[in-house]
Amino acid sequence: MSGGWLLLPIGLPVLGGLYVLFRKPGTDTRRLVICEIFTLAAAAMTFAMILFGDRGIVQVFSLMKGFAICFRVDGPAMLFAGMVSAMWPFVLLYAKAYMEGEHQRDKFFAFFTMTYGVTLGVAFAANLLTMYVFFEMLTLVTIPLVTHYEDHDSMYAGRKYAAYCIGGASLGFIAVVFCSLGGSEAFVYGGSLDTVFPAEILRLIFVVGFFGFGAKAAIFPLHGWLPTAGVAPTPVTALLHAVAVVNTGVYAVVRLTWYVYGPELLAGSRAQLVCLLAAVFTLVFAAVMAVRERHVKRRLAYSTVSNLSYMLYGVLLLTPAGLYAGLLHMLFHGIIKMSLFLCAGAFMHVTGKAYIYEINGAGLRMPVTFSFYTLGALSLTGIPLFCGFVSKWSLLTAGAEAGTPAALAGVAALIAAAFLCAVYTISISVRAFFPETGKSSPEGGVHEAPWQMLLPIGVFAALNILFGLFPGLVTGFIQEISMGVF
Amino acid sequence: MLVDLIVFLPFVMAAGAYPLGRKHEKIRDLLVPAFAGIELLLCCLLFGGQGSGTEITGVLSMGLSFTVDGFRTVYALITAFMWFMTSVFSREYFAHEREGLARYYVFWLMTLGATEGVMLSADLMTTFVFFEILSFTSFTWVLHEQTRAAIRAGYTYLFIAVIGGLLLLMGLLLLYSAAGTLTFSELPAAMERILTNPPAGGASAAALTNASSAGAFAAPLPNAASPGRLLAAGILILLGFGAKAGMFPLHVWLPKAHPVAPSPGSAILSGVLTKVGIFGILMTSAEAFPAHPMLGAVIYVLGLVTMFLGALLALFSVNLKRTLACSSMSQVGFILTGLGSFVLQGAVAAAHEGASALSGAGEAVREALAGGAAALSGAGASGTLSALTGEIGEGRVLASSGLMLHMVNHSLLKLALFMIAGVVVMNLHKLDLNAIRGWGRKKPLLKLAFALGGLGISGVPLFNGYISKTMLHEGIVMLIEEAETAGVGAFAVHVLAASEWIFLISGGLTFAYMMKLFFCVFVEKNADPKVQAAYDGASAADAASKDCVFASGSQRPPKTSETRAAADGNAACRRRPYMNAASAFAILGSAIFMLILGQPAVMTRLAAFMTGNPEILEFHAFTPGNLKGGFISLGIGAAVYLLIVRLWLMRKGVYLDRWPKGLDLEERVYRPLLTKALPGIFGAIVRIPAENRVSSLLCRGVLAAGKALARFFGENRLLRPVCRGLVFLGTFFGRCLSTGTDAFFALLRKTVLRERRVQTAEDYQPGKARTAVRVTEEALRPLAFNFSFALLMTCLGIIVFLVVLLLTIL
Repeated sequence: MSGGWLLLPIGLPVLGGLYVLFRKPGTDTRRLVICEIFTLAAAAMTFAMILFGDRGIVQVFSLMKGFAICFRVDGPAMLFAGMVSAMWPFVLLYAKAYMEGEHQRDKFFAFFTMTYGVTLGVAFAANLLTMYVFFEMLTLVTIPLVTHYEDHDSMYAGRKYAAYCIGGASLGFIAVVFCSLGGSEAFVYGGSLDTVFPAEILRLIFVVGFFGFGAKAAIFPLHGWLPTAGVAPTPVTALLHAVAVVNTGVYAVVRLTWYVYGPELLAGSRAQLVCLLAAVFTLVFAAVMAVRERHVKRRLAYSTVSNLSYMLYGVLLLTPAGLYAGLLHMLFHGIIKMSLFLCAGAFMHVTGKAYIYEINGAGLRMPVTFSFYTLGALSLTGIPLFCGFVSKWSLLTAGAEAGTPAALAGVAALIAAAFLCAVYTISISVRAFFPETGKSSPEGGVHEAPWQMLLPIGVFAALNILFGLFPGLVTGFIQEISMGVF
Repeated sequence: MLVDLIVFLPFVMAAGAYPLGRKHEKIRDLLVPAFAGIELLLCCLLFGGQGSGTEITGVLSMGLSFTVDGFRTVYALITAFMWFMTSVFSREYFAHEREGLARYYVFWLMTLGATEGVMLSADLMTTFVFFEILSFTSFTWVLHEQTRAAIRAGYTYLFIAVIGGLLLLMGLLLLYSAAGTLTFSELPAAMERILTNPPAGGASAAALTNASSAGAFAAPLPNAASPGRLLAAGILILLGFGAKAGMFPLHVWLPKAHPVAPSPGSAILSGVLTKVGIFGILMTSAEAFPAHPMLGAVIYVLGLVTMFLGALLALFSVNLKRTLACSSMSQVGFILTGLGSFVLQGAVAAAHEGASALSGAGEAVREALAGGAAALSGAGASGTLSALTGEIGEGRVLASSGLMLHMVNHSLLKLALFMIAGVVVMNLHKLDLNAIRGWGRKKPLLKLAFALGGLGISGVPLFNGYISKTMLHEGIVMLIEEAETAGVGAFAVHVLAASEWIFLISGGLTFAYMMKLFFCVFVEKNADPKVQAAYDGASAADAASKDCVFASGSQRPPKTSETRAAADGNAACRRRPYMNAASAFAILGSAIFMLILGQPAVMTRLAAFMTGNPEILEFHAFTPGNLKGGFISLGIGAAVYLLIVRLWLMRKGVYLDRWPKGLDLEERVYRPLLTKALPGIFGAIVRIPAENRVSSLLCRGVLAAGKALARFFGENRLLRPVCRGLVFLGTFFGRCLSTGTDAFFALLRKTVLRERRVQTAEDYQPGKARTAVRVTEEALRPLAFNFSFALLMTCLGIIVFLVVLLLTIL
């Protein structure tokens, strides 16, 4: 227990959430301050761990041999935890403005803060079992957030969310069991399985585990929950359903693929092919569905489904270049999708409208919000100058380099999806700024969003351009992760 | 430093112009032309900086790099010049428009910077970056008017731009993975290395500079430099840039966007932005594929189609700006044809050198390619178009000079012509030929400018278009001769000969549609005498105050009796001159180039400067052979005008739109593809199995098997109950299977298609499958969306866990 400090960032937000839940601070500001204190403390601890903490395994307790709860700070953990920690405080600020006047704010902020700790738990998990435990907890702790409005749609979305994620995780559990028995006591870059079981069976289990953990990353047959969950309040859809929770799915697949199985066991196998094709199919399919969707947040949710499959595609190429591209896209997509969702949320909050055709002319009333939106949209499409281009280019080069038929099909699919992405994101900007004469819908009282909303959006938009112009700030780090340096 | 300034200053100015533009409109209106003027002066300084280049590393992962050579200098200058002239013109054009103009000017200046960025780029990545920027910034012009038509055209433009950008990206990716570089000056050497070495895994591995590919688990490297992938890269890049150039089949945005865009915007879209596309195609094919037979053939054929189709569309059009837009497409076709003939000549020469036929086996083609690349890259000077200098055949010199000069010509021509169209729009707010007919009858200045443009574009001797078209034509003639001597086969020669005629006919069509426009607007009288009187009255008023064209726009012309007689005419025409001094300066200043560039001495010097090859100085424009080609074209044009336009496209003095409505690539193919076919395909994947009733077939199969078994063993008393059981089990499992499959498809249909409508009986064939689907759907609904489902899955997991535990313990 020498490195017990690692438990602090995981525990602090949970404690903070429990405090808010049971002590019920009276005013909005007090609640926000309490949540921010715990969140910022945890974020500071996280960054301290990333920068200065030691890299050893911290074992908390052991169920039996091979089944222990332990944590560790390694490459992907640094990336994922750092990314989440940088976003959470801003979104809390945004949530304060967004949730004004809603009911049960204590409950909302309590669970929202707790989710942060649980997400860090997933990030710092050092073996599959620990990750699985936090993975399940993440589902449970976010259900109250999805069902926050407690109307029929929300309850339905909550049930569906739970069914998909818990069901998926139970598939993942099968993989956890096999891998733990197979000798994977801790994550090791390049694979940590002994060959207790025949390779063919292990590969079959991989497919099961991939779809299980992939349910959170909304892989094709199990993607249905994400668009439905768009009924949740925007801070939830933005941070959880575009970044934290769904990336947990990708993160779990990264762990399973690269840190348990390893490319040697999987490369060229049918298991890789099946999973790769599922990802390729999802990324085009979801983009098509996004084009058809008329509800702003559901459209963005489908876009998330599509982009998560970009990452899975990169990871499943089983080359370091592919892993690099996948992780890079995880970071950049997080930044972009946050700004898109927060802008959409600002629009919905200010106007009370939610459909694409209601956006006509909104950009003239809310120029700052929709300018930020447009930057995000261009980035997501993959236009140079913005960070989305960097990761998309890496994905494409990785795919072309891998050169297998499935990988090349993926390259073509990426290009097609990028076009569809332009259709479904940029058309919103066009509507907002260039309404048909005399058809501008938001009238009178519509004004710019409050600063608590614009500040987080602005930060993400700035990051978007910063990383677009100077990708070197992070690419070196992620490249090292993908080569297994950390 | 200078180059950086030219590229990035407009962006800075755009940032400054916006806050200013919203508050102080007068200052902004003066400042925008001033900015363009500064840019023009800076570009003039480029002549002193030949061969210099800059590189900005650290941004955009691959860095940006710029270089200066003859061609780039001239094009940077033309870009700035066009921006300056149109800015001067914009002041009057937008005089009555206030809202949205600040936005317009911001994107206007940003596009200027991006265009200069493309024109001065030294590597394809830089080209791509600025190309994407200008796609999006220029897009805002197209839907500036914000009418329904403008927004629709805007979407078309945007989507074509995005598709083009992505195709380009894909092409760059393939080229980069094969050659390992995207810098223009390094490409010839890289391509030569690929083509001379057999493209084994090792060669391409060396080319891949991406450090991450050297990882421990790198998959076996594929054949990144195989001829197929190289060709694919070339074609993708061609299509990507071609989308912006207006090349068939991605030309659909041109005829839609121009009529709705503001006229200064149309002038730039047509004059410069199409050239941005050409620039990319030219650079890529000249540096990376200077002698690629297949790519050359593709460029050549697409060029011919674009050229002819554009001219044909222009001839049929009854809208002034649409005609000019289609004409742009056609002229782009001329340029591409020239480029195609340039590449093909390289291929033919190389094939000849390698003593192997063009249509030979793959080995021969490879040799030819290698020979061509080696011959061409050897003589290259750094930073210039290496393939265009060096020791190359006369035909290639002609083709390269011709295509570059035609680019210059077309830019300036369309600048003048679109601004004239702009004058029409700002006076009449109409573009239909029947409505504006006769408007220009008594406006000598405008008439002169338009006539100069028309003569120039049609290739009449002594005007600029003649020289460039003649060079292009001679290039094709040379290509045919070379192909004959190289012995590429009779069929290929016949095809090439036919292409020469297509070239001449397209030239003729150009003459015909320009005559149609000129006679319609400036010579004929309007069908409605009252309208004509109003048009003439306005002009007469201008004539009365003779130099009021040159006076300021606010000065009122004296009201003569004639103008009062035309009281029910167009009020706008009556009160003020049809254009002010600044606009007249812009139009005449552009049109005068048709005469200046009509001089062979000027043109050959310009060509020598642009290509960096002095051989072209020996070109004589007015030899009998050259004149013959020109006059054949003009003769065809006159005949087409008299026979087709006057007799078939006009009825009782009214211009008819006889283009079949069904022949619209966008409406018939592209839009349905996007809105119907793509979602439809995904729907079909899910729908087909269900409707073929796979499940019921399965069910029947199992039943039949069981019954067959029962019949076979029916005699045996002992086995009889077993068989009965089998039949029962078969039926049971069959039912289950059928229900399960149907339910699976039903679920898929729900999740994938998300069909909201109530499914009616017609959706399914009558029978058991329908009820089965409904029953199972209902049965599954609570299951799928409930905790019990989750619990079920968890239990399954635990069972497997236990089984495995048992197995390992035992």
